[in-house]
Amino acid sequence: MLEIDTLHKAYDDVVALDGCTFRVRRGQLLGFLGPNGSGKTTTMRSVFSLVQPDSGEVRWDGAVIAPEARLGFGYMPEQRGLYPRMKVAPQLVYFARLHGIAKDAAESATAEWLERLGLSDRADSRLEELSHGNQQRIQLAAALIHDPELLVLDEPFSGLDPIGVQAMIDILLERAAAGAAVVFSSHQLDLVEDLCEDVVIVAAGKVVLAGPVRELRSRSHHRYLDIELAPPAGDLAAAFGGFDIVASADGRVRLRLTDAAPLQPLIDTASSLGRIQQFSFTPPNLSEVFREVVG
Amino acid sequence: MSGWSAIKLVAARDFRERIASRAFQLSTALTVLLVVGFIMVPTFIDTDTTEEWTIAIVGDVPPGLVETVGAGAGDAATASASEFATRAEAEAELEDGNVDIVIDASGTVIVGNSTDEQLTTLVAAVLASLDVAEQAEELGIDATALTDLFSGGYAVVSLDEQPDTSNGDRAFAFFATIILFMSIITYGSWILIGVIEEKTNRVVEVVLGTVRPSHLLAGKVLGIGILGVAQIVLIGVVAITVLSLQDALNIPEAAPKVLVWAFIWYLLGFAFYAVAYAAAGSLVSRQEEAQNAAFPLTLMLMASYFIASFSIAGENPVLRVASLLPMFAPMTMPLRIAGNDAQTWEVVVSVVLMIAATYGLVRFAGRVYAGGLLQSGSRVKWREAFRASEA
Repeated sequence: MLEIDTLHKAYDDVVALDGCTFRVRRGQLLGFLGPNGSGKTTTMRSVFSLVQPDSGEVRWDGAVIAPEARLGFGYMPEQRGLYPRMKVAPQLVYFARLHGIAKDAAESATAEWLERLGLSDRADSRLEELSHGNQQRIQLAAALIHDPELLVLDEPFSGLDPIGVQAMIDILLERAAAGAAVVFSSHQLDLVEDLCEDVVIVAAGKVVLAGPVRELRSRSHHRYLDIELAPPAGDLAAAFGGFDIVASADGRVRLRLTDAAPLQPLIDTASSLGRIQQFSFTPPNLSEVFREVVG
Repeated sequence: MSGWSAIKLVAARDFRERIASRAFQLSTALTVLLVVGFIMVPTFIDTDTTEEWTIAIVGDVPPGLVETVGAGAGDAATASASEFATRAEAEAELEDGNVDIVIDASGTVIVGNSTDEQLTTLVAAVLASLDVAEQAEELGIDATALTDLFSGGYAVVSLDEQPDTSNGDRAFAFFATIILFMSIITYGSWILIGVIEEKTNRVVEVVLGTVRPSHLLAGKVLGIGILGVAQIVLIGVVAITVLSLQDALNIPEAAPKVLVWAFIWYLLGFAFYAVAYAAAGSLVSRQEEAQNAAFPLTLMLMASYFIASFSIAGENPVLRVASLLPMFAPMTMPLRIAGNDAQTWEVVVSVVLMIAATYGLVRFAGRVYAGGLLQSGSRVKWREAFRASEA
């Protein structure tokens, strides 16, 4: 289990981490969310000692992470980078060996990954000769070549086309199912909602919300009310002007209400404008929860 | 994984990638060709400066005259004889420049406008000594007694037990200094560019996830350093082979002590500056800034070089101080050792300071490296980078 425990880090006047604390279990796929500049990258870097926190600890299986333990981790930084002029296969072998894998094992793991990615025929190509998408695949393979027990990915979905996104999803799910602790940051909240059971949301260097996505949604003090009238009549946006309108379209309106809001006035207003086709409450989706806590 | 195996992996990658690169192979081939060319070209152009003296003889001159003149000229000239029946004929040839000097057996030596002064002096001296020998024989003095008579019985004895060779040694030490200077300038910038490349590619963040900054730095310096030394050795071997095939090998001969010290200082100096270049590279993110980052190092190298080149003739106070300071010692101490000017304690202090400074620089550069590598954008100041990392 990875434990991020009360990390503090300040750069001159800028506070990057302000007591950030959360855990990632083996087999868990954790979405790590937060607006830009909230400390996600700093937290991830501190797992790899690329950043030295001013205080607090990062532990793996209960112990402060030693350099040897780190060999069993995989890291994909937000700023992707490999050696552009190095050939694909030697490059993957190199990264496997940096993680302490013996030469033979590194070579066979490289062959397996290239086979799996459908890039066996490009083993002797320079990385820069590959398409952007294929370079992304090699980058992922470089992070996974040594079967890490902890996988940390900073914005793994950014810049991927839909096929690449799906391939990434498959691999992350597979690694978590195989027992690895997987944590990744992302701004694509709909995707995270579909993919992860658990999320952590940070803002200004500290965790503002953490837990299973479903729980976080229902725990919210807000409900979303979708009203649809058929046939549409009158100006819904104007009629519900006294409420918090999230979205409105022809004959439809989505309102944000506190969970204590009385319903009768809403029903009355709606039925006065037309026939109610839909009148349903939903808990906020992840994007809405996110905006509620960091907005 | 131990630190050493990480260093080896990094070093092996840097070595292999560079040696496999077309640019390296081309530049090596080109350098070798240039070196061979520079050595070979002079032999295609006739640079034979040996004079050919033709001595016109009229009448019977003492035997061995021409040969003695030729021997007296050494490598500067060869002498040959051309006999004429009359003095007038010989003088005509002299005026036309076909002969260089005329010796008339009747007792006259005739020189022309273009007659070499050395030739005139030689001929006069040889004639005089042959004349003395002839007269002595007539007087019944034998040749051995004559030699004794002229030498006056004095033997020439050198005060030094061994001849003073320190000039040759100094020349060699300076030669070694130039090689060190060129190696550092060339391979230092390879290291500089290699470090900046990893920052520009952002690959360094992935690598530093598993490798400690000081290990990455050591591996890089070793990999590129070994390749650089290998290239220098290759060029050196080619140059020496070509030169010795031509029988033209003329490296200043040096005492073994000077040779060994030159090699030791080469390694010490190379290590020190290679580490310093790696640290400088970690401070910038773009290749265009590489030369700015390395400027202080270039300055120190130039200063070392100038101190060394103004001190070939011998000891001076600036040289003495510089040879004790780590940034200047590699290019100045070998000169003092070669000139037998350095006290043993000075050499010991200088080497100890050098090793301590290199170790300190590795530690310091490791921190600068760690702090500088992850900061991209503007140029990082040494002090900021140092503070940014406590690893």
